[in-house]
Amino acid sequence: MGILRFLAKRLLFSVFVLFGLSILIFLISRVLPGDPVRMALGPRAPEWAVQNLREQMHLDKPLPVQYYYWLVGALHGDLGQSLFTRRAVIDDIKEFLPATMELALFAGVIMAIFGILFGAIAGRYNNTWVDNVVRVFSYIGVVTPSFVFAILFLLLFGYLLGWFPTAGRLSPWVPRPPVITGMVTVDALLTGNWGALGDALWHMVLPAVALALGGMAQEARITRATISDNLKKDYIASAKGFGVPERLVMLKYLLKPSLIPTVSILGLDFASLLGNAFLVELIFNWPGFSRYGINAMLRKDLNAIAAVVMVLGVVFVTVNIIVDLVVAWLDPRIRLGAERGK
Amino acid sequence: MRRGTVFALSVLALVAFGLAAWAGGERVLRITFAWPTYIDPAVGSDFSSSSAFVNLYDTLVYPDVNGDPQPHVATHWEVSEDGTVWTFYLRDDVYFHDGTPLTAEDVKFSMDRITTIGEGYGFLFVDRVEGTEVVDDYTVRFYLKEPFGPFLTTLYRLYIVNKDLVEANIKRPGPYGEWGDYGKEFLLTHDAGSGPYMVKEFRVEEELVMVKNPNYWLPIPEEAPDEVRFIGTTEPATIRTMMARRELEISDQWQPQEAWKALDAMEGVDITSFFPGTSFYLMLHTRKPPTDDIHFRRAMAWAFDYETVVRDIFPGSIQSRGPVAQSLPGHDPTVFQFHRDLDKAREELRKSKYYDQLDQIEVEFHWIAEVPDEEKVALLFMANMAEIGINVKVVKVPWMSVVEEMANMKTSPNIVSIFVAPHYPEAGSILESRYHSSSAPTWEQNEWLLDETFDKMLEDALATVDREERFRKYAELQHYIMDLCPSLFLFDQVEKHAYQAAYIDWPAARGEVIPVMGYNMAARFIKVYPEKREALLKGG
Repeated sequence: MGILRFLAKRLLFSVFVLFGLSILIFLISRVLPGDPVRMALGPRAPEWAVQNLREQMHLDKPLPVQYYYWLVGALHGDLGQSLFTRRAVIDDIKEFLPATMELALFAGVIMAIFGILFGAIAGRYNNTWVDNVVRVFSYIGVVTPSFVFAILFLLLFGYLLGWFPTAGRLSPWVPRPPVITGMVTVDALLTGNWGALGDALWHMVLPAVALALGGMAQEARITRATISDNLKKDYIASAKGFGVPERLVMLKYLLKPSLIPTVSILGLDFASLLGNAFLVELIFNWPGFSRYGINAMLRKDLNAIAAVVMVLGVVFVTVNIIVDLVVAWLDPRIRLGAERGK
Repeated sequence: MRRGTVFALSVLALVAFGLAAWAGGERVLRITFAWPTYIDPAVGSDFSSSSAFVNLYDTLVYPDVNGDPQPHVATHWEVSEDGTVWTFYLRDDVYFHDGTPLTAEDVKFSMDRITTIGEGYGFLFVDRVEGTEVVDDYTVRFYLKEPFGPFLTTLYRLYIVNKDLVEANIKRPGPYGEWGDYGKEFLLTHDAGSGPYMVKEFRVEEELVMVKNPNYWLPIPEEAPDEVRFIGTTEPATIRTMMARRELEISDQWQPQEAWKALDAMEGVDITSFFPGTSFYLMLHTRKPPTDDIHFRRAMAWAFDYETVVRDIFPGSIQSRGPVAQSLPGHDPTVFQFHRDLDKAREELRKSKYYDQLDQIEVEFHWIAEVPDEEKVALLFMANMAEIGINVKVVKVPWMSVVEEMANMKTSPNIVSIFVAPHYPEAGSILESRYHSSSAPTWEQNEWLLDETFDKMLEDALATVDREERFRKYAELQHYIMDLCPSLFLFDQVEKHAYQAAYIDWPAARGEVIPVMGYNMAARFIKVYPEKREALLKGG
């Protein structure tokens, strides 16, 4: 019951956050210099054609009226037309968001598994050569932007060694599985198309690893630090003193509570991937949401900008709520606090 | 574990087999482009869209390597004595991709559609075409509001769409009254053409896949690609890798200098260069002090170091000779060309009314933030001008702000550096967009020339139907502009592409360049030899 109340509170709060965000992004995108319609139609387009499009997009109305139209449309699932793809923004999102979600999910899995694994090993064997090796790689991972990894992988594994494909989501000769979720791997799995599944995974390796490395290093550092701290705590010494097997101490009493900060950061890192994957998507010609978002900003594609920011906002809010729930599950103090209504 | 290994090996085998079967034997032409690509002829007008149109659609006339119109869907044509009525006689053996015959009704529909929508290349016809008449199934007549000599060359941009197919896919209600959305949503991802290639798949912002039209009315060589892919990326590392793996046949033109060098060093890859008619100008505000003074402008024109620009900043380009690019039909090669001469610069400066106030004057130079190389030009200009005592303030401005400030005479800066391309392949196009009073509030003109004499001379030239006579008038206009010195004509832009010289035969790379944007990407003229590609891969 307490958890449900906690969830309801967070959801209500999220609605206010998203409402505020929508006003903010709406205003910011409209005060940028330049006429977006003229930009889209070109310098020689007749003024009446430009005016027609302005009217279609309600850009000839005062800002509050424009916002009203936008909000009413958004609440009905209509985010307006994109000035550059020339179709409904919602169609763009349906096409591009799953591509990035798929990439981010795989990157997130890599980040979580290897980040926690390396962090746990380094924490368990802290101040040994194992810890030092993990630390060096973590530092490299944290300070190197993902696009550097992307270019490096592309040149090494794509260009020099030729092991992996360098662009796109599927090879040209592999038929696309029918669209169910928009995520090629998931759709291939659902339709039992193993060839497409293998090919899609093969295409995903380089961009997903390039995206994951930074977060993975971060997760490893945090997990390592927390495990090192917890290792010195009395309850671990007691468990060991009572003869609890090392493996049980490690997995149940040490790792679980040590994951709380890692999970919090992991959630944010995952949500950030959606917005920050731009350069990796560009390098691997991945038709994703992040690339779409940056292009929308560069082209001053008003409806697309608002939609991208709102989608990212929704993702951040959702991920944060999930993280809170996971942390509550991991940490009985938070869970019990929520149940007591604190 | 063992099962997993078997699965992984099976996938790898499948992929390897697919790669060998697909890429080895198929005639595929892959070209990278900067997105967006529109395949609706009433919407797109950029390079990638224009390149798609020439493959998907037919036109009444087709340009040759001189830019001259040749019969295509129209076998011949007539023009009335006053130059306002143009009658075209069509072939009767042209069919759209769905098998319906192309008739005069389709031509009229295409013209009505593009002038009603007003986007893309619509501006070429909107203010000029009064109406279109279907004389009979294979004769169509255009009525112009006033005589317009280059009308034939503008018809390179009237791509004929299948009326029945578009009508069947109109979405109502829409912004065009009874025409609903005029089929815009349908044509966003489908074609309605009769061209040598047909859309197989179109993924927005990602890839356009076209396949050969087996029933095309003109013979297509067997070696022409069976499939053409326009890939939406210009990322240098990606291009380099794809070229090295022979997964890309022709690169886009937007690669940085170091990328061209790396691509040129690859075995079997060559770089081809041609001049598309685009020029780079320093546009001088002729109504704002101190650039309103002709001697001040001439002093700057004499002081600037053009050679360094074409040699070091934009290598491969050539110094412009006047306002019209040298590759553009109608250019006059006798037009005067400035070169760096500081003595002459100082001499002109002394004649300027601002000569005594040089220390109080600052010339504001705006360059486009999105084109980093322009900063080098701006800094070179500042250094050159300092040598004759002119202070220059260099300002980096985002493109959208430049467009906004150039819309108003008061907010336009003294100097803006911008590339401008012709809208149709004739000198008249660039003269109109650069210096006619009607274009003053657009980003194509910072000069605010507002010269009635020039306007009348240009309007007269554009109304001249006889090509030779029209070109003679263009020549006079170029000399007229040079006398006013409203701009610094820096260089004619070079368009570079890396291509797989070892296994494709591309007429443009052999020097057979059609001076109309997009036409050099007509895939039916490009030959692909997959066996040579395979040999190259094995050799590599």
